[in-house]
Amino acid sequence: MPPINDTRTATTAQPPIIEIDGISKSFGAFKVLDQLSFNVAPGEKLALIGPSGSGKTTILRILMTLEGIDSGDIRVAGENLYRMQKNGGLQPADENHLHKMRAQIGMVFQLFNLFPHKCVLDNVTLAPMLTKNTPRRQAEEQAVQLLEMVGLADKAKSMPSQLSGGQKQRVAIARALALQPKIMLFDEVTSALDPELVEEVLNVLWRLSEETDMTMLLVTHEMGFAHEFADRVLFFDRGKIIEDGKPEEIFRHPKQERTQAFLKKIIAAGHRV
Amino acid sequence: MGQWAGYLQLILEGALVTIKLTLMGSVLALIMAFIAGLGRISRFRAVRALATTYIEFFRGTSIFVQLFWAYFVLPLLGFSLTPLQAGVLALGLNVGAYGAEVVRGAIKSIGREQYEACIALNFSRWQSLRHIILPQAFVLMLPTFGNNAIELLKASAVVSLISLSDMTFQAQVVRAQTGSTLMPFLTILVLYFLMSSVISASIRGLERYLTRGLDGVRS
Repeated sequence: MPPINDTRTATTAQPPIIEIDGISKSFGAFKVLDQLSFNVAPGEKLALIGPSGSGKTTILRILMTLEGIDSGDIRVAGENLYRMQKNGGLQPADENHLHKMRAQIGMVFQLFNLFPHKCVLDNVTLAPMLTKNTPRRQAEEQAVQLLEMVGLADKAKSMPSQLSGGQKQRVAIARALALQPKIMLFDEVTSALDPELVEEVLNVLWRLSEETDMTMLLVTHEMGFAHEFADRVLFFDRGKIIEDGKPEEIFRHPKQERTQAFLKKIIAAGHRV
Repeated sequence: MGQWAGYLQLILEGALVTIKLTLMGSVLALIMAFIAGLGRISRFRAVRALATTYIEFFRGTSIFVQLFWAYFVLPLLGFSLTPLQAGVLALGLNVGAYGAEVVRGAIKSIGREQYEACIALNFSRWQSLRHIILPQAFVLMLPTFGNNAIELLKASAVVSLISLSDMTFQAQVVRAQTGSTLMPFLTILVLYFLMSSVISASIRGLERYLTRGLDGVRS
């Protein structure tokens, strides 16, 4: 429930926090994204599903500015991601513009990408200290809180190599949260984990959704989790969104044949939907 | 035996010069290696070209000739150097060119995922390099840097050609004065070996120190 003095009636009434407008992207001759458009409302939890190579991870990487786009436009909080206003026109974004835009977005990777030469605490404090000039003491206090939230306060002084995969991923989430982004991107964050470690990471996501109103985009193969967790599901196939709707609709009553086939295959592979 | 003590004294004085040359040359080489190695991966084409030219030139010409230039030719252009300065300059620039490739290679070997984490955390290019990439790459550079330092130690003998009284030069003096070949050359053989052993051991120690807690990271 929104606070009483909030005049907004529903989240849909707010302008979208992410607007993706006809973007295309090719790797060589392979078209990963084909004239793709969709919006994300503030606070929305969006699951991106679909077969591998369908472009869902590429979308997250483009939003994090790890890949550029060939054409189209992306606006984050109303501002163009890859172009900036300069000299009365739109020009390709420079480092300063990207720096400003990235500050609103955090990303968690499939393979954690922790800094192996830094202890857990330093992994979490480094970004606020370097990019927001947060004093060390304050950054550490915040890091301890975040590590408590992901259940790893006792590992603050451990090196990443001493942690399990699930613990590493939880540190990576804390590290991304330390910059207090408005949008969090989760790229198959449980795919590299042993099955028994998946749940501890998903629990952190649940906690995050309960304690914050962050916008979350998740690329996932955990269909059961996507079903329960997401507000909305996008089904990707060959660089296009072929189905977009509430989890209930997509998982229980998929309209498209390709979605039906994909879900059937997933269920046959033993995943719970 | 008494006369040998005097000659040994001479050789040890030379050893001191060799150590000085090696240390100062290594410091210059390290600085040049980082400047040129980072220059090679610069975004700016002119910087890359400059770094490449330096590396190719100093790897591609003889250290003897470089030393003679530093000592005999530079004065003609108005730069007079002492033999020690010329020796440090030639050795540092020469070995630095090899080191630059080590720096570049080590930086390139750090996985793309580390760079991507840096972008996702909004680090600037310099912050990524300084805090994430270089600390990890430096550990990879160390063994080859050790080799380079030993190469530099051994190459330092060329300075005897510009009358700098290093260990090799002093051994020649002792040989000329005593007519004994075995004693002076055996002595410096052992001394060179001891010095390079110290370099090896220091590098290994430093490597161990820097990789503590990193188990499983280096392959």
